[in-house]
Amino acid sequence: MSTREIRVYKDLMGANEKWAGATRTLLSDQDVVMLNLIGSPGAGKTSLLEAMTPHLSKQARFAVLEGDIETTRDAERLDRLGVPVSQLLSGGACHLEARLVNQALTDFPLRDLDLVFVENVGNMVCPAEFDIGEKAKIAVLSITEGEDKPLKYPLLFREARAVVLTKTDLLPYLEFDLPACRRNIAQIDASLPVFEVSAMTGEGVPAFADWVINTPQTVL
Amino acid sequence: MHEFSICRDILAAALEEYRALDPAPKRLKAVRVVAGGMHQIIPEYLATAYGILSRDTPAAGSKLDLVIKPVTGRCRECGWEGEIVPPFFQCAACGALAIDLMQGRELYLDRLEVEDHEHERDQGL
Ligand SMILES: Nc1nc2c(ncn2[C@@H]2O[C@H](COP(=O)(O)OP(=O)(O)OP(=O)(O)O)[C@@H](O)[C@H]2O)c(=O)[nH]1
Ligand SMILES: [Mg+2]
Ligand SMILES: [Zn+2]
Repeated sequence: MSTREIRVYKDLMGANEKWAGATRTLLSDQDVVMLNLIGSPGAGKTSLLEAMTPHLSKQARFAVLEGDIETTRDAERLDRLGVPVSQLLSGGACHLEARLVNQALTDFPLRDLDLVFVENVGNMVCPAEFDIGEKAKIAVLSITEGEDKPLKYPLLFREARAVVLTKTDLLPYLEFDLPACRRNIAQIDASLPVFEVSAMTGEGVPAFADWVINTPQTVL
Repeated sequence: MHEFSICRDILAAALEEYRALDPAPKRLKAVRVVAGGMHQIIPEYLATAYGILSRDTPAAGSKLDLVIKPVTGRCRECGWEGEIVPPFFQCAACGALAIDLMQGRELYLDRLEVEDHEHERDQGL
């Protein structure tokens, strides 16, 4: 029996990286900043976008790419608020890949936009692995998920450029340890800004919206 | 679940390389993948995914070797370099939470091991 070894050394993210690079060029040519929102199912990603809309629309022109495994419900919620939104169905995949996002962006009037939000498929693991050509990944963590989640999903918190802690209106009803959560996030990346927001009461929403408008373009 | 999505990419890449081999080998014996510790791959889950996804492909029956590279980093405060054990991205020398990652994010198909047809080996000799 003759056995041969073939050295390959092929980056498994290579094809995805190419599309992400193309998207990055496309967006920077048009001066558009794209943010990739990542969090578990039900973390409050769509609610955060809904809550930010009144505040954001005064200061920037933005659109949303909704990633979902199935159904167009989230897209419909934003459409009702007059936000330009496009639905990406991942067709069963647990994350969005760069090619799909790139194709969806070509349908957007990028010239007339300042910001694009991508709501990734609800999942804290896989979307963190994939560059979709965004300017920054934003980790969305609801306080109902527990303060230990940053330690369990370090890749997401390592890749993210900001964390949004959602559903803070529920703090009185939960045993959520907010300082411990902040410490856990700092363990992974002490320079990460953390925003506490409630989409329900609107608390903290303007502060995050202001960060979105002012920071990614210049600092990140 | 993320082992399945990673495994899909591994298989696609391995099969593409395998099919491009000339002369065509008799069979694919093993596929070696190198993954950084940041990917948090559970080897048993990846092996299960590989067994399932490789069915009815030329990779059926082949073995997946996974080499996990430790996560290493460098401290921005004191310059220390060494292994990091996620999720604690802390300098082992000065305690600073200021670590830049050096290794641990990689994910690549390293090599294939194939078995050639006997006559091809004879011709080659
Ligand atoms: N109390 C409270 N509930 C919230 C808040 N934000 C979201 N919710 C609730 O949490 C649930 C999920 O919110 P969504 O915004 O749909 O979450 P999502 O992350 O977009 O979910 P998927 O897209 O399905 O992954 C809904 O029932 C919301 O009403 C909040 O600030 N406070
Ligand atoms: Mg949603
Ligand atoms: Zn140090």
